[in-house]
Amino acid sequence: MDDCISSDEDYYDSDRDSLHGLENEDSEIQWVPKGPATKVITKESLLAAQKEDMRRVMDLLSLREYHARTLLIHYRWDVEKLFAVLVEKGKSHLFATAGVTMIENRSNSSSEPSSMVMCDICMEEVHGNDATRVDCGHCFCNSCWTEHFIVKINEGQSRRIRCMAHKCNAICDEAVVRNLVSKRHPDLANKFDRFLLESYIEDNKRVKWCPSTPHCGNAIRVEDDEFCEVECSCGLQFCFSCLSEAHSPCSCLMWELWIKKCRDESETVNWITVHTKPCPKCHKPVEKNGGCNLVSCICGQAFCWLCGGATGREHTWSSISGHSCGRYKEESEQKAERAKRDLYRYMHYHNRYKAHTDSFKLESKLKESIQEKISISEERESMLRDFSWVNNGLSRLFRSRRVLSYSYPFAFYMFGDELFKDEMTEAEREIKQHLFEDQQQQLEANVEKLSKFLEEPFDQYTKDKVMEIRMQVINLSVITDTLCKKMYDCIENDLLGSLELGIHNIAPYKSKGIEKALELSACWNSKANTSDKYPPSDCGTSGGLSECERLTCLNSEENGCSSRKRARAEVVTGNFFDLNLPAEVVDRN
Amino acid sequence: MQASRARLFKEYKEVQREKVADPDIQLVCDDSNIFKWTALIKGPSETPFEGGVFQLAFSVPEQYPLQPPQVRFLTKIFHPNVHFKTGEICLDILKNAWSPAWTLQSVCRAIIALMAHPEPDSPLNCDSGNLLRSGDVRGYQSMAKMYTRLAAMPKKG
Ligand SMILES: [Zn+2]
Ligand SMILES: [Zn+2]
Ligand SMILES: [Zn+2]
Ligand SMILES: [Zn+2]
Ligand SMILES: [Zn+2]
Ligand SMILES: [Zn+2]
Ligand SMILES: [Zn+2]
Repeated sequence: MDDCISSDEDYYDSDRDSLHGLENEDSEIQWVPKGPATKVITKESLLAAQKEDMRRVMDLLSLREYHARTLLIHYRWDVEKLFAVLVEKGKSHLFATAGVTMIENRSNSSSEPSSMVMCDICMEEVHGNDATRVDCGHCFCNSCWTEHFIVKINEGQSRRIRCMAHKCNAICDEAVVRNLVSKRHPDLANKFDRFLLESYIEDNKRVKWCPSTPHCGNAIRVEDDEFCEVECSCGLQFCFSCLSEAHSPCSCLMWELWIKKCRDESETVNWITVHTKPCPKCHKPVEKNGGCNLVSCICGQAFCWLCGGATGREHTWSSISGHSCGRYKEESEQKAERAKRDLYRYMHYHNRYKAHTDSFKLESKLKESIQEKISISEERESMLRDFSWVNNGLSRLFRSRRVLSYSYPFAFYMFGDELFKDEMTEAEREIKQHLFEDQQQQLEANVEKLSKFLEEPFDQYTKDKVMEIRMQVINLSVITDTLCKKMYDCIENDLLGSLELGIHNIAPYKSKGIEKALELSACWNSKANTSDKYPPSDCGTSGGLSECERLTCLNSEENGCSSRKRARAEVVTGNFFDLNLPAEVVDRN
Repeated sequence: MQASRARLFKEYKEVQREKVADPDIQLVCDDSNIFKWTALIKGPSETPFEGGVFQLAFSVPEQYPLQPPQVRFLTKIFHPNVHFKTGEICLDILKNAWSPAWTLQSVCRAIIALMAHPEPDSPLNCDSGNLLRSGDVRGYQSMAKMYTRLAAMPKKG
């Protein structure tokens, strides 16, 4: 059994993912070899990505490529939408609105070259060779066309260059544009091509540029849920929806507000200068409580709030004995009290947010030192050659720490007045806040414990003690994962879900951490092929299964679940073969 | 630049030929500047503008005909799509529906058509637009007629 565990742990220790905790199907999806639903589109694969969608439209409607592109640009690269319009309104409506015109008998235009043509734009008679008739049937001289195209490309309208004729809605054939423009301005023709290519990113709601600076050149495509967090192949992790750092379980709006608030640090600084004064003895900031102007520091020194001078402790309401600064002024502002309360509140959340962000940074350093400990241990103990639990525990720590730190700005807005004042009654808010804080505290406690165990110098411990730590780490990993998942559930269903306000969406919890988008290969399969695959651990069987058994199981469960998106299967802890479970539990199975 | 000059010159010759053909429009090019034109158009019959003669000022951009000319009324006119003070005209073909196939002559024709068929839903003159939208056609017509008489007709005596 021991062998089985360690081999499985090896298996999970790939860099693609590490922990195999209590998963919902959602996160399992990324685990299957099929890879994540997000793709990296590089400069090289952009063309392939675009062709893929155009191919679908071309095949269905037997169209030429540029017509397919025109349609797709009009429908913002939403192939499904385009097909829906086709079904509902018919082909001619589809074409007309997008500016696709097809003259059935283009043959008569070929008779022109010999004759003279009157161009209605420059009003010149030109030779048929020097004029171009486009699909809608309108014919103008090449020089006028070229001018027109140049103006439109420079206006940034490459994707929708219309025919010059009055009231003609037709989009010009991109081959004609390219051909004519390149004769006069090869650079501009290249620009035109780039614009067309980049339309796939710029006009597409499923695709966005990676927000890295300097820019990595990549774009990310998501398959179905735009509220997700992704990792570009350049390593940057970000929120696909708002393009700032990954911030779940905060909603995009909350995060935006929070960032602004934090940037506006002056608020805090102001408060400190207005509401505290340095102790004349130890120089720590001391806060004034109550109206009395004799304040005392924790070091025991008393001093006058008004002038800051050290004093004795004898005082009346308006004067301090032996001290005469006379600058007493009644501080009677309720407004200040309120501002102070707000600020306290902000600082409460900010301090915790900051504490966890700071821990996260410190723990990132832990990663290096822990590698050393691992290699020392590996040399020392040949019996315990497998230390993947350390790395797994570490990844879990990072993920949970992240969730924890972003849960504070979330709570700040969720239970504050700024966003949802009228959405909840005071009592309702209180109950919800308790519910949430309970979870938050549990998570916090377990994250700290996990952190503590991982920091232990296990390379110097005896085998038994290492086994003990191993069990603790594995245990705590499972617990924190479960708690994170619960917290997301609570936020999505009980807190945000009850608001009836669609603007606060959060990226779903990913047990494996933020999804790394896969490079889009030039010939990737259509998503229809992958949507019916199910992850192995849906099998819900306990104990170690061989790969073969897993597969059998996979097949038998083929019809097991219908919704791959945000499915919330209720999972019973013990039912999975889980490397995060303590060895005893696994052995019992 | 050359293209626009050549085109305007063509239009100029065309105008000379068509003068007889379209008695409602008299297009004149500025003596010293081919990018400045004025036009005199006759108010269409069976409209409050009948009997009036309206002067338009054209300012032609260098990218003409790829970009539309700027046109405004020099003669005061009470019309929902013409700004009462500046004479600015709200007409789609002078904005996003412009096509290089239009000429100054055909723009004049489009403006005459607009005089006969106002679009009260995109008013530059709110008073006039509101009269029409509220269904007070008589009110609109009498105002428009009054201004035509005051501004667009030769003073008697
Ligand atoms: Zn021409
Ligand atoms: Zn056309
Ligand atoms: Zn990137
Ligand atoms: Zn966001
Ligand atoms: Zn002190
Ligand atoms: Zn006191
Ligand atoms: Zn004092």
